[in-house]
Amino acid sequence: MIFSEEANDAVVERIEEWGAMKGVDVEVVMINENETVQRISAAIEAGTMPDAFDLGVDFALLLSQTGQLQALDDLYQQIGDAHGGWLDAMDAILASTDFGGAIYGIPYAASGINVLYRRVDVLEPVGEADAPATWQEIAVNSAAGQDPPSHYGMGFALSNVGDANLTTTMLQSWGGRIADDAGTTCTLDSPETRAFLEWITGAFADGLFPPGVTTWDGGGDNTAYQSGNALFIANPGSVYLNIRENDPELLEATRFSGLPAGPAMHIVPVTAKLRGIPASTSPEKTELAKDLFAFLAEDEFMEQYMSAAIYGPALDSQLEFAVFNESPVHIGLADAALNGTPGTFPDVDNAALAEYQTNFLTPRMIQRIVVDNLSIDDSIAETQAACQAIYDKHNQ
Amino acid sequence: MAQPNLTRGPRAARGGWLRLNQRQSEGLFGYILLAPIVVCLATLVVYPFFFAIYISFTNRMIGGQAEYIGLGNYLYLMRQPDFVASVRNTVVLVFFVQLIKLVLGLGIATLLNQPIRFRQFWRGLILLPWAMPAFVAFITWKLLLVPQGGAFNFILIELGLVNTHVEFLSSKALAMPSVITASVWRGFPFWVISFLAAMQTVPKELYEAAVLDGANAWARFRNVTLPSIRHIVLVVILVSTIWTTNSFEAVFLMTGGGPSNATLTFPVLAYYSLQSLQIGEAAAVSVALLPVFAVLALIIAVLLQREN
Repeated sequence: MIFSEEANDAVVERIEEWGAMKGVDVEVVMINENETVQRISAAIEAGTMPDAFDLGVDFALLLSQTGQLQALDDLYQQIGDAHGGWLDAMDAILASTDFGGAIYGIPYAASGINVLYRRVDVLEPVGEADAPATWQEIAVNSAAGQDPPSHYGMGFALSNVGDANLTTTMLQSWGGRIADDAGTTCTLDSPETRAFLEWITGAFADGLFPPGVTTWDGGGDNTAYQSGNALFIANPGSVYLNIRENDPELLEATRFSGLPAGPAMHIVPVTAKLRGIPASTSPEKTELAKDLFAFLAEDEFMEQYMSAAIYGPALDSQLEFAVFNESPVHIGLADAALNGTPGTFPDVDNAALAEYQTNFLTPRMIQRIVVDNLSIDDSIAETQAACQAIYDKHNQ
Repeated sequence: MAQPNLTRGPRAARGGWLRLNQRQSEGLFGYILLAPIVVCLATLVVYPFFFAIYISFTNRMIGGQAEYIGLGNYLYLMRQPDFVASVRNTVVLVFFVQLIKLVLGLGIATLLNQPIRFRQFWRGLILLPWAMPAFVAFITWKLLLVPQGGAFNFILIELGLVNTHVEFLSSKALAMPSVITASVWRGFPFWVISFLAAMQTVPKELYEAAVLDGANAWARFRNVTLPSIRHIVLVVILVSTIWTTNSFEAVFLMTGGGPSNATLTFPVLAYYSLQSLQIGEAAAVSVALLPVFAVLALIIAVLLQREN
């Protein structure tokens, strides 16, 4: 279940339509996608797994390693062929070595893509109307446009939530790496990491972040932007959907652009939303689930779904959808799906990195400096040790 | 050797194949009545309990095979700065929450035990925080405390008491006090009601005698009320200590364990471990608290025994 009620309803109706067509009783259980790990973990342990379910790539990596998912290579090929092929990003994401050469999920959308929102009504009068090309420009524009405590510049979470892992993207844009090319040794302790931390903690010290960012929950940036408290946020599209429906003035005052570059490279992460079939599903139901996945991938339905969802395209045929050529946010999402950096590039996408991100080690490294007044060197050393412990655990 | 005859005789006719006297028969009947609940307890409490201890010594992932790794999970945890922080935070949280609830609980219960106007109304009102679902209560507290649009900041700024937002939840100095405040608010009604119920069992004659002896209100409270309800006070403290130590919602919903690890407690640490499907590691976090709970449970058992 995602932020869009309309998109959620469309999926349920489509599945029920398929069930009626095939004469199959279907029960669709919608869960908050933030609870997928907990709910599926409990279902695995209780032996009550559904016959098919949606999941993210990180979770698929972990589940595939314990043999909980069926390989779906044939279906991946079949759906790709029927829709002009998969976008390169999908192929790259599913090529992670930790998947062991098999395809364990059928992508239905490119996800994890953040679009940069900016308040042009505030930034234009101070001469900063253009989309920032770099993260450093965002800081400069923020300093020029903000007027605390009414509004602050950089509405990016630095807390223990998934949104705050955008700081890992920033770190990589500075040339920093979480681990080496083998994906086994943590390489956080680097001059690039130091340079990044100097920049972001400097921006924090300059008061460019709204108060409370170190404990924001998943909706912190949404709230800050919609209440007029932040000039810049990075968001997949839920804020756009909300202000499109409820706040035309804010929509008018907002401009959208892709994530900016750092001093070393331009990272625009793209991941995927997958549909998977548990290993526990019977052969008969596996065939039905595959048929359902193909049915759900049909363009007529996906065009309706994508116009209400906050995702980018996964298949070539989806690039033709009107929404990816008309809606400003969806144009950005499609551009990122086509030209972004798949998975966790330049780092190796593996279970250790997934755990690093789940433990929010990059935002917490920043918190140790801005909250606990640890020195940059000490914070890096501490995080490097915690990171290496995770990688060692997975490499045993 | 003569075999015991289990099927004949007057008892056999009455009690079946087993020869039992009246007392044994009643005892057996008692055990039979108890059996369903013992089975339930064994299935729902004892088995998960020992299973959690077992998997804490393995590298088991959700759905995966368990491989014995000895103290590996515990050693890994001990080396993590978060583990040390969570020990410290849990102790601080529990200590202050219990202390404040004790003072508030005793004070308000004493007040509500007096013949004040609308006493029944106040007694009902005091229960409201406890009746509210925890997630609603803590989300509400979060909304009151956040810098943007939070009621407390709005009031402070409007009154001119501060000129910028107070970071109740995101400053290291105020995050834990904020969580403590919300936890106290949610939990103190249980203490009030428990103490009030205990106070109502104290014979009035004791107070009358104390008054005749010239005892003032404080002396009556210290020498009559407190000794009379001390067992209830201790049991409430111990039970509530276990609840607070295990409480997850307050910290997770208000701060997520942050800022940094300023409010990270054991249950939240276990939750984060489980996010990467490391059920062995998550179990180790929970089991690490076991000795503390065992001591507390022992104290409760001894106190209840004495009460009996």
